[in-house]
Amino acid sequence: MNRNIIIALAGNPNSGKTTVFNNLTGAHQHVGNWPGVTVEKKEGVTEYGGYRLQVVDLPGVYSLTAYSQDEIITRDYLMNAGPGTVVVDIVDASNLERNLYLTIQVLEMGVPVIVALNMMDQAESKGHIIDTAALSKLLGAPIVAMSAHRNRGTRELLEAIVKMANGASHMSPLKIRYGREVEEEIAGLEPLISTTELGRAYSPRWLALKLLEEDEEIARRFEG
Amino acid sequence: MSLHTMPLSMAAPGETVQVVEVVAGRGLNRRLIDMGLVPGTEVKVINSQGAGAVIVEVKGTRLALGHGMAHKIRVSKNEQKHHHCAGRQS
Repeated sequence: MNRNIIIALAGNPNSGKTTVFNNLTGAHQHVGNWPGVTVEKKEGVTEYGGYRLQVVDLPGVYSLTAYSQDEIITRDYLMNAGPGTVVVDIVDASNLERNLYLTIQVLEMGVPVIVALNMMDQAESKGHIIDTAALSKLLGAPIVAMSAHRNRGTRELLEAIVKMANGASHMSPLKIRYGREVEEEIAGLEPLISTTELGRAYSPRWLALKLLEEDEEIARRFEG
Repeated sequence: MSLHTMPLSMAAPGETVQVVEVVAGRGLNRRLIDMGLVPGTEVKVINSQGAGAVIVEVKGTRLALGHGMAHKIRVSKNEQKHHHCAGRQS
């Protein structure tokens, strides 16, 4: 029984996404530092625990606003990710404030996410101590600590991926409260959205938030 | 609110300034928020020459901003801590 799992790697530029990709797939590729180095969809295959793992390296982005081509590619991929897909959000642990911005956006979409806290060695040498258990609880997602450039944490990540694909690590989806005014608007939109085709495919709350942000891409989808 | 603000485009290389507000349209505003340029954020100017791009360091990442973009970001020098209420809501 060789079951399939699709692993989508998301993360900020320079979070070590490509290094994690190479660790997972064993591919030997040049890891460059040019912006947009991974605009092309890079894929690799590996096996673990009786599973066939298909790894997709998404373009590095700072947000999912659908502002640049990279962001649209990443967001579309995450939106269209079917069951059997596990999103691994690679976070630079030495730069949490910036990196968690994308993490929150991915979690709000309601897709299954594992947060890979990469560059833990650098965070430690900066004197940062991260309470991963507390962060995991706050985010409502499993966390794996890694130092990908030393190939540390790869096995733990694979373990977490298989566990999530098995449905053994289901966590409560992240729901951020945006205050009374915004919540009232969401409450008004959500029931309307959930009757639409789009609302059945994606989280109605997330779609409501995007509409309130005047996200052109989502607005277009509703019109079309 | 701000006694001494100036456009980010006027800050000198090596200077550390604080974002006070972004005076731009919705799209650019949103984009700059995404990049971490929210009121109260510290910005270090790495390079800024004439009418060219302004390179800054924000939250551990270097960003290259067009001169016009940098002109729309109002900053204050960092000597005393201002009390910013904008940008941080919980």
